[in-house]
Amino acid sequence: MTTHEHGQEKRSKADWLLFVVGFILASALGFWLTPTILYAQKAQPFQFSHKLHLGEVGDEGCKACHPFRKDGSFAGIPGVEKCKECHSDDTLGDKPEEKVFVEQYVKKGKEVPWLVYAKQPSCVFFSHAAHAENAGIECTQCHGDHGKTETLRTYEYNRLSTYSRDIWGKSLMGLGSPPNRMKMDSCADCHRENGVRDACFVCHK
Amino acid sequence: MNWDRRAFVKFAVGAVVGLHASPLIPKLMDDSAIWTQNWSWVPNPEDGGLAFANTVNPATGTGVRVRLIKGRMMGERIIRVEGNPEHPLSQGGVVPADASAVQLLYNDEVRVAAPLVRDKKTGMYREITWQQALDMVGGKLAELAKAGKAHTVVALGDEADSIHGQILSRFMAAYGSPNLAFAPRADDTLALAAWALTGQTDVGFDLMNASYVVSFGTPLLEGFGAPVAVRKAFVEWKKSKGALVQVEPRVSVTASQAGTFLACKPGTEALVALGMAAVMAEQGLADESATSAYGYAEFKAALAKDYNPKKVAELSGVPADKIVAVAKAFAKSPKAVAVCGPGPGGDPGRLADFMAVMALNGLKGNLGKPGGVAARKPLGLKALGEPANVDKPRLDGGKKGMKPANALALAQAALAGQPYKAGMVLVAGGNPAYAGPQAGVMSEFLSSAPFVVAITPLLDETAALADLVLPGTTFLEGWTDCRSSYGSPVSSYGLARPLVKPYAQAKTVGDALLALAAKLGGAVAGALPFASVEEALKAQTAPLGDLAELAKKSYFVQDKPAYGPFAFKTPSGKLEFHSQNLAALTGKNSDGAALPHWEKPAALAHGDGHALAMAAVPSLRSATGFQPLTPHMLKVLDGNTLRHKDELVVEINPKTAAEMHLAEDSMIVVTSAVGSVDARVHLYAGAAPGMVFMPTGLGHGAVSDAYTLGKGGNFYRVAEAAADSLSGLPTWGLTRVTVTKRG
Repeated sequence: MTTHEHGQEKRSKADWLLFVVGFILASALGFWLTPTILYAQKAQPFQFSHKLHLGEVGDEGCKACHPFRKDGSFAGIPGVEKCKECHSDDTLGDKPEEKVFVEQYVKKGKEVPWLVYAKQPSCVFFSHAAHAENAGIECTQCHGDHGKTETLRTYEYNRLSTYSRDIWGKSLMGLGSPPNRMKMDSCADCHRENGVRDACFVCHK
Repeated sequence: MNWDRRAFVKFAVGAVVGLHASPLIPKLMDDSAIWTQNWSWVPNPEDGGLAFANTVNPATGTGVRVRLIKGRMMGERIIRVEGNPEHPLSQGGVVPADASAVQLLYNDEVRVAAPLVRDKKTGMYREITWQQALDMVGGKLAELAKAGKAHTVVALGDEADSIHGQILSRFMAAYGSPNLAFAPRADDTLALAAWALTGQTDVGFDLMNASYVVSFGTPLLEGFGAPVAVRKAFVEWKKSKGALVQVEPRVSVTASQAGTFLACKPGTEALVALGMAAVMAEQGLADESATSAYGYAEFKAALAKDYNPKKVAELSGVPADKIVAVAKAFAKSPKAVAVCGPGPGGDPGRLADFMAVMALNGLKGNLGKPGGVAARKPLGLKALGEPANVDKPRLDGGKKGMKPANALALAQAALAGQPYKAGMVLVAGGNPAYAGPQAGVMSEFLSSAPFVVAITPLLDETAALADLVLPGTTFLEGWTDCRSSYGSPVSSYGLARPLVKPYAQAKTVGDALLALAAKLGGAVAGALPFASVEEALKAQTAPLGDLAELAKKSYFVQDKPAYGPFAFKTPSGKLEFHSQNLAALTGKNSDGAALPHWEKPAALAHGDGHALAMAAVPSLRSATGFQPLTPHMLKVLDGNTLRHKDELVVEINPKTAAEMHLAEDSMIVVTSAVGSVDARVHLYAGAAPGMVFMPTGLGHGAVSDAYTLGKGGNFYRVAEAAADSLSGLPTWGLTRVTVTKRG
């Protein structure tokens, strides 16, 4: 028996534990590191309570402030003009956020640079009319219970792609989390389930 | 368990596998791919409400429809320029210059955002306010006027008839300088030719209703008049089985669409027209209205003597039997018309050539008839009024008030200091340092002038030589207008209004001049009693109705050509082959100088055997003259034009190339008496022997954007302009060049 063979015989199977330890440590590091290096956070210009506003607008619901334009396209985040339908130069309540809004935006005629959680990349054509009006899908199905929130959560965006984290979803593994994922796969899955075409050009014009 | 090499390897492999099992690597790779969607040059318009607005591109005469998007944060922005299907002439079509206009509007790299003062030594720009800029220009102008040197101010404009051109004319006259020139246009040559023979100045060709069209070098499909309108009309005209004869030295796009192509030697197109005229006169095919015209006998004798088919065939290279056949077919066709100008490369053309073609139309007797030469109905606009006469000698020696002045002659005289040097130069629109006439001389003139002000939307070659650059506007963001396009048989008026807020601090040329006039006060302010260009337009368009309504529609077009007896405004009251108008203008009445005749182009008159004649290749895919090149144009250029990435490709006949030991792709230098440009050879059998054909619109220098910078060479740097012997306008149809190998 050579020295070499002798040495091999002496190695214990416990060495493989090191492999497992390396695996667990590195993957844990990967899970911890990925969101830290990939996502940055931005604060919204000021706080806003959807719950409060939804309570004020009555039956009209989301559409009271997020209507469809005359041409059928979706207006998205309302401009200050829309807010001014209720908010004049004087504050309606005593919330400090409203004061900021009135002083810095309404009086100066400036638009609020809201950060849009659900903003799709510009290469995506998405029609709210087709989904919310024609297919009757509830707003909450994609946007979650946004209307029930009292504060705006911190906006997270991908440093590389610059898109909102909501597009990929909270779960790094792409498993979905409320609000629902807004990635291409999610769109395609839903289209297939409902017998709607899922060809490229349906969304990528 | 020992911590040895093997243990470490196990740990490391485990770590690598573990890292791959985490989302770090796949997620980063996925996002890196997505990152490419957000490169800075990928257009990313804000979402918002859509709106449409009609307007007119004055550079092309196309009626366009503009798509605007009103975003919440960025406000209203133009996202697309498409054709306006309601426009009666352009009918929804566009050319690349229209479609890519947005690329100039939102091009931060080349747009002038604020008034800029340029340090002559370092070439660096410093931003100042409009108020400071107006104080600076106003101060200089007042200083020169006080020193009795008001007449030494030279102004170069773009379009004489536009509202801005009129404001500039009135500004200069009231200030006291006769030295004003606009971009030379074939419209001026055609107006002069028509005036010489008929006394009318506003004429066009009724191609649509003609059954037989002979085009003398006219690029009908590559930049004639309003190009979209002409192409639309051409498609319809083709259906009516009309015949087209193209006379030119190159198989161009128009030639490829012609039933008959007469390949002539360079500069002999009009000679062929006279050859045809000789056949018609000789064989009694001239119309009655022509045989009774003033000077017909004299013209007939001159034709027989100098322009008989045999002689013309010898000089032009077009076989005599072909000249006779085309002349007969032309004369016998019920509705035939001969077309001339504009020359390729924006050349205004030679007056004698235009007169020859107009005389051919006169012989045919098609004046005022369907399918002939039409006198356009006046638009009925209330012009701002004739500018006052300035009682000072003009730099180019032109007569007082005689229009149009020759920009090149002004520059050359000022450079020589004869009769005086320029005290200041005002470039109000256009880019003479790039497009000339004769870019080299214009650049030298601008570099040596004591103070140069340029009003321009882009940091172009002219801005690079100016001491003060004032931010101008494009047609999408400021009021502007345009008149009937070259050759159109109907008169039209196009009106462009601001569809979005002007870029940064940009002002229209007219508004900048009005602000300056208000600053100067006195006679200048008195001559321009308008608060804005909009107000001046209101006054001008009052006979056509409400300005706002007209601007919304964006055009006024005469519905059909005005047929009927031609109203001759000549001294004899009829068609004049011996032009008394021209004789009075030039002071030459004998030796056939007042007759339609042919002159050998100066470019062919001298030079050794190795020299070639250079001409431009017109193309709607590229820019001509003052038109800026857009990034989009580079994408749609003919595959041969920039085949070698950034190098200009010129066309040479294979035989000529063989004689000069040149082959396909040979690297050459094309040199004229005024400049040179590097190029590659493309052998093209459709090019006349002894010629070099060069594309225009390329070769932008110092301050272009990253896309257009250094692409190809500048035709206008090589083209030599010479004053036409009759009109005095600079022409650059042909340039004597030598071609040498390099590399």
